[in-house]
Amino acid sequence: MASKRIGVYICHCGVNIAQNVRIDDLRAFAAGLPGVRVAQNYMYMCSEPGQEMIRKDIAENRLDRIVVVACSPRMHEPTFRNAMKSAGLNPYCLEMANIREQCAWVHKDADVATAKAKSLLAAAVTKVSLLEPLEEREVPVTKTAMVIGGGIAGIQAALDIADSGFKTYLVEKDASIGGHMMQLDKTFPTLDCSACILTPKMADIKNHPNIELLAYSEVTDVKGFVGNFKVTVKRKPRYIDENICNACGSCAKYCAIAIKDSFNAGLSKLQALHIPFPQAIPAAYVIDPLACRYTREGTCRQCEQVCKDLNAINLDMQEHSIELDVGTMIMATGFEPFDANRKPELGYGRYENVITGMEFERIVSASGPNQGQLLINGKKPKEVVFIQCVGSRDKTVGNEYCSRVCCMYTAKHAHLVREKLPDAKITIFYIDVRAFGKGYEEFYDRVKGEEVYYRRGNVSEVYRKGDKLICRGEDTLLGQALEVPADLVVLAVGLEPSPGARELGQLLKLSKSPDGFFLEGHPKLRPVETGSDGVFLAGCCQGPKDIPDTVAQAGAAAAKAIIPLAQGMVKTETMVARVRAEACRACGYCVDACPYDAIALGEVRLGRATKTAAVVNEVLCKSCGACSAVCLSGAIQQSGFTDDQLLAVIGAIGKEY
Amino acid sequence: MDATKSLRAIAREVLGREDIACLIGYEKGSYGFRAQPCVLTEPDQADRLIFSPLCVHNLTNYLTLEQIGPLSKADIGKGKIAVVVKGCDSRAITVLCAENGIKRENLYVIGVHSPGVVDLKKIERRFPNAVEPAEVSLEGDSFTITCEGETASVPRSELVNAKCLRCKNNVPQGCDVVVEGPEHSMEDDFADIAALEAKPLEERAHMWQEQFSSCIRCYACRNSCPLCYCSECILDKLRPQFVRRSVDFPENLLFHSARAFHLAGRCIECGECERVCPQDIPLMVLNRKLARDVKELFGYEAGADPEQKALFVTFKPDDPNEGIL
Repeated sequence: MASKRIGVYICHCGVNIAQNVRIDDLRAFAAGLPGVRVAQNYMYMCSEPGQEMIRKDIAENRLDRIVVVACSPRMHEPTFRNAMKSAGLNPYCLEMANIREQCAWVHKDADVATAKAKSLLAAAVTKVSLLEPLEEREVPVTKTAMVIGGGIAGIQAALDIADSGFKTYLVEKDASIGGHMMQLDKTFPTLDCSACILTPKMADIKNHPNIELLAYSEVTDVKGFVGNFKVTVKRKPRYIDENICNACGSCAKYCAIAIKDSFNAGLSKLQALHIPFPQAIPAAYVIDPLACRYTREGTCRQCEQVCKDLNAINLDMQEHSIELDVGTMIMATGFEPFDANRKPELGYGRYENVITGMEFERIVSASGPNQGQLLINGKKPKEVVFIQCVGSRDKTVGNEYCSRVCCMYTAKHAHLVREKLPDAKITIFYIDVRAFGKGYEEFYDRVKGEEVYYRRGNVSEVYRKGDKLICRGEDTLLGQALEVPADLVVLAVGLEPSPGARELGQLLKLSKSPDGFFLEGHPKLRPVETGSDGVFLAGCCQGPKDIPDTVAQAGAAAAKAIIPLAQGMVKTETMVARVRAEACRACGYCVDACPYDAIALGEVRLGRATKTAAVVNEVLCKSCGACSAVCLSGAIQQSGFTDDQLLAVIGAIGKEY
Repeated sequence: MDATKSLRAIAREVLGREDIACLIGYEKGSYGFRAQPCVLTEPDQADRLIFSPLCVHNLTNYLTLEQIGPLSKADIGKGKIAVVVKGCDSRAITVLCAENGIKRENLYVIGVHSPGVVDLKKIERRFPNAVEPAEVSLEGDSFTITCEGETASVPRSELVNAKCLRCKNNVPQGCDVVVEGPEHSMEDDFADIAALEAKPLEERAHMWQEQFSSCIRCYACRNSCPLCYCSECILDKLRPQFVRRSVDFPENLLFHSARAFHLAGRCIECGECERVCPQDIPLMVLNRKLARDVKELFGYEAGADPEQKALFVTFKPDDPNEGIL
């Protein structure tokens, strides 16, 4: 092996590094290390002049290895790789030593920080000479997208992708798209009718030539990788052909089985054969197999008789699965309202006049069970209490986070109560009011002016006294205990991840943040990306958010999902795992350890013989290194992090300088 | 004696079958208390087999060899290998099968309910002049020992191997045929490990310094281990060289620590490494320390369940720690 010609570039990062690491010492030290031809320092290596320095030295000094001594490779590795590429060097002959986060920022003493920086620099120089040039490869992309979840996030994302000319599958687990937004009455702070602004978008989904809606369906398996996902979608039997049904509703009149109406938050009943709500898309009826007399007991079939002419009903419909090829995917699985039963002290489930925010939405909605009249047990409540932060900012239920919408929807609820019951006494218990969005503070101010009493404090207990409920708490501003009587208590329940999202996340190998929502690629710079290339996040599956934020994020996710489709090719991981078949004992540990199904056991040629050994699918490999960590014989090695490279690094760090 | 008789009957039948290439069992040794492994190929050899408390070896170690006794690789390929296993040995087969080290369908496993084997070092200290092949059997709670023409009776607890005193289960698992006998099983409380851990750090450091300084790196521990069977051991590699060839305390320590970690969640505690060590290094202490940790941290026991995946690749989606995903 010819000796390497290494260039070392030390970054000051303004004063971030320079104030605590002696740059001149470091440069002199670097210049004396074996193989180092050039050692330079500069104020900002990532700046254009900094990169130009590297390019120039590569040309003038015929450098073949570059060490950048600066910050974490997480941010600027691509920057320097590109600089090397443009100077004609293999971009994988780069090593970065992080002396900012690992030295300057964490050590107070410049001697200590400089000594450690020398060790890290020496390790990087040692490792860089052992690096091998790697080839980048590209694979073609299936120019189709899939959006999972048909709430406002999924609807918006699907429309945006489809509008840019790519075929999009929209998968919804329920019988109709619309999600929770469809259940809301008015939206804060503008008080638009929620359904009225959503239904046009739902109609667009139905009519869009590029969108294939797969309602009443669930994703059960995902294989493959960005650009080439193979998704299995389970199509649950609707028992009514959605392409034939004209939603005339004649059949439902003959269905005698009543079930809870989940669209109305369980406040009313509908038939086992039903349409979820009048504006449902697909505009077709559905039969609940858990309730239907025929699917449960094998008798009845009345509905089929009614629909004899159209013949849309088929009670023998079977569940089946289809496999779809897609290039990119968007998760838009939304949220589930916090289950108020988990706060038993608030009386939900025990007193029927303690309700959740979602139930309130349905009660006051013009399309709800009361046709918009605010009646509790047939009577108008005189005193209404709202309790905020139920299931949010509450460690006792494991939810430390703020659900971000409850302050505003409670203000909206208070406003709606005032509108419907001008004489009612309205009290809101709050911890802090968070009115952060555009027009939110103004709306909050307006509601405060509508004789709504905001009392700062938590309610510790709700109990019945005579025909009233008593909300006991403390006004922390006045520092006094407080008992407020109520005819209606509305719990501002927070938002939790959808229960089904968990398994789906596992299929797509998505990480979760501590709050249980999906983790974005980077909290600031990759807010809709995920750890899985080609999978993006939209809406509340990533964290609680309101409708404007959801729509904005859905658009962003769509734009990101379009990029690989528009490019037509995706780069595959370069620093993949490699197997030395001679040493492989075919135990299959790596096969099981690989989270990306990138390794299988297969027959490989070894000279004239063949042998069973691990085989890496380099397109699927994400270079996580799990395989090489479990390999007992060291037969599988990850490029860029091989045993000899890492052992050399440990050796270099262990030396005294 | 009953076990030997049953074993011979089984062997005669098995060796007569066309699909069996050979049978690995124990026969009377030529010296003192040493029974020895044997490889039989013909039914008329069946009477050479014995089973007694002297049958200390874990014969599953032979299963991963390229050549078994007189049989070449080609001979082995002609049929199944029949092997005699005790309870602990059978768990080695479970681990080997789980990691594709051997294929279960290539084996015919003959299990024996072992009442416990002797500790050869103890028995040879007790009867130092045994030259003629001795005989040992268990009668009640005592070993009956016939040695150099004299018969003695010694309580089982004095001569039995320590591993048998904490035997998890002496019923061999996953066998094709079993020679039955008294069953026993118990929960291992790892009291020995706890006692060692309770000692001060300096004392332990001193102990291991002494133990590993005496290691001559004969590799008997590795060669006798049924689960150390990589064709290329990572500790033999020169590039990168994890362990240098020099026989001294630091390199010996590294060698034994690496071996112990490679056996974490795999070691089935047959104790062969410790038995064969010419320097009497208590290697099982290392293995048992890791076995205890693996059990406490992950609720995992090596070889306990034929269905379980290897510890290293067991992934729980609800793992409390952050993973690589």
